[in-house]
Amino acid sequence: MQEQEKKEPTLEENFSQLEQVIRNLENREISLEDSFKEYQKGMQLIKSCSETIDRVEKKMLKISENGEYSEF
Amino acid sequence: MNKAWSVGEVNRYISNMFGQDFLLRNIAVQGEVSNCKYHTSGHIYFSLKDETGAIACVMFAGQRKGLAFRMKDGDNVIVSGSVSVYERDGRYQLYARQITLVGAGLLYEKYLALKQELEEMGMFAPQYKQPIPRVVRRLGVVTAPTGAAVQDIRNIALRRNPYVQIILYPALVQGEGAKESIVKGIQTLDKAGVDVMIVGRGGGSIEDLWAFNEECVARAVFECETPVISAVGHETDTTIIDYVADLRAPTPSAAAELAVMDVASFDQQLMQYRNRLDRDMMNVLQNKRQQLAQLKLRVTASSPENQLLQKKQYLDELSNRLQYRMQEKYTASRNRLELFIEKLNGLSPLRRLSRGYAYVEDDKGSCLTSVSQVKAGDSVKIHVTDGYIRALVQEKETIERREEN
Repeated sequence: MQEQEKKEPTLEENFSQLEQVIRNLENREISLEDSFKEYQKGMQLIKSCSETIDRVEKKMLKISENGEYSEF
Repeated sequence: MNKAWSVGEVNRYISNMFGQDFLLRNIAVQGEVSNCKYHTSGHIYFSLKDETGAIACVMFAGQRKGLAFRMKDGDNVIVSGSVSVYERDGRYQLYARQITLVGAGLLYEKYLALKQELEEMGMFAPQYKQPIPRVVRRLGVVTAPTGAAVQDIRNIALRRNPYVQIILYPALVQGEGAKESIVKGIQTLDKAGVDVMIVGRGGGSIEDLWAFNEECVARAVFECETPVISAVGHETDTTIIDYVADLRAPTPSAAAELAVMDVASFDQQLMQYRNRLDRDMMNVLQNKRQQLAQLKLRVTASSPENQLLQKKQYLDELSNRLQYRMQEKYTASRNRLELFIEKLNGLSPLRRLSRGYAYVEDDKGSCLTSVSQVKAGDSVKIHVTDGYIRALVQEKETIERREEN
C-alpha cells in the first residue's frame, strides 16, 4: 500500500497541486502560454482525481478462507 | 472527659485512625451504584448501597483510567480503593481507584492485564498507526455475515460510494472459535489485497465482545499490513483491538463513514475546482484580450498609414499657411500699389498742365528744362492741356531759382 502511494500521488497531493495551479492562474502576471499550460495541468489533475474512482457499481462479495470470492 | 476537643481535632483524630487501618487503606467493596454523578471537573460522585445501607464514594478525575465503562445507577460493581475521612464534612467515604462490573469482573481483570502487557510492548504506539487512504476501492470487512453490523456497513459504504468493492470475510464474532475466525479473516483479506479493513461487530455484553480482547486478534490487527479500522459494539465499549487498530470507530456504521469517502461531495469538490479553473482561465483570456486591444491601439497609432495621414494633415496646414501668407502679401502689395497710383495720379503731367503749367520741347522732341538748351530763333513746341503751340524763341535770360522738391 505504501509503495503504491509513492508511485501515484494521493488525492491530497493532487488537491494541493490543484490549489497551486489555481494560484498560478490567478497571478495577473502570468503569460498566455503559461496560463494554457496551467489550465491543462489543472484539468489533467481533476481528471486523474476523478479517475481514482472506477465508476462501476459493484456487488458486495464474500471471500472464503481459501481466498475464493463469491457473491454475498 | 474534662477537656473539650475542637471539631477539627476530632475529625483529624478519626482521619488518622482510618489512615492507620490496613484494611481501610486497601479495600474492595461490592454494591449497587446510586446517585451517580459525572461532575464536569471529571470527578465521579456516587454511592454504593446494599439492602443494609450505603457508603459515599468518589472517583477523582486522576483515577478515571480505572473505570473502563460508563457507570450508571443500578450497576452492580466492585469498587477498589481506600476509605478515609473527609474532614470538612466529618464524613468518611470510599475513594475509588478502580471500578469493575461484577460478573464481568474476571474478564475485566484479564482485559486490563492484556491491555497493559500489549501497551508495554508498544503495540498501541502512534508510530505504528497507518493513515487511512482517502480513496478506498476495495473495502475489506471482517464481521458476522448475519446481524446489523454488516448491513450497516454495506448501506453506509454504498450510499457514500456505490463504486466501492466491499469484500466480506464472514467471521464468527462470538463464542467458540471466534478469535481464530477473526484472525483468519484479517489474514485472508490482508493477503487478498484491500485498501482498508473494518474489523468489528455490533453491540453486546462484555462476554459477547470478548473475542476482540484476545491477544491473537490484537496481534493479527497489529501485523496486518492493510490499515485496520476497529468497530466493536457501541460508543462506550472499548476493546483491545481499538487500541491496536490504525483507527477506532465507535460503531460499525461510523467505521463505514470513516473508511469510505462520500463520492457526491468528492465530485462536487472536483466540479468546484473545474469551475474555478474555467473562471480563472476566462479571466486570463479577458485580460490578455484587453492588453491586446491596448497594444493594437498603440500599433495603429504608429502605423505608416497613420503617419502618412498625419503628414498629410501637416502638409495641408502648411499649404493653408502659405496661401494665407501669400494672400496677405498680395493684399499688402495691392494696397501699396493703390497708394502709388493715388500718389502718381497726383503727379500726373496732365494735371499739371491743367493748372497752367506747360511742357516745352525742341525740334527734336527733347524736353526743355534749361535756357541753355535754346538760342534766339529756335523753334519750340509748347504743350498745354488741349494741344500744343509752336513758337519761336525771342530771347532768353538765366534766373537763379531755388530748387523745390
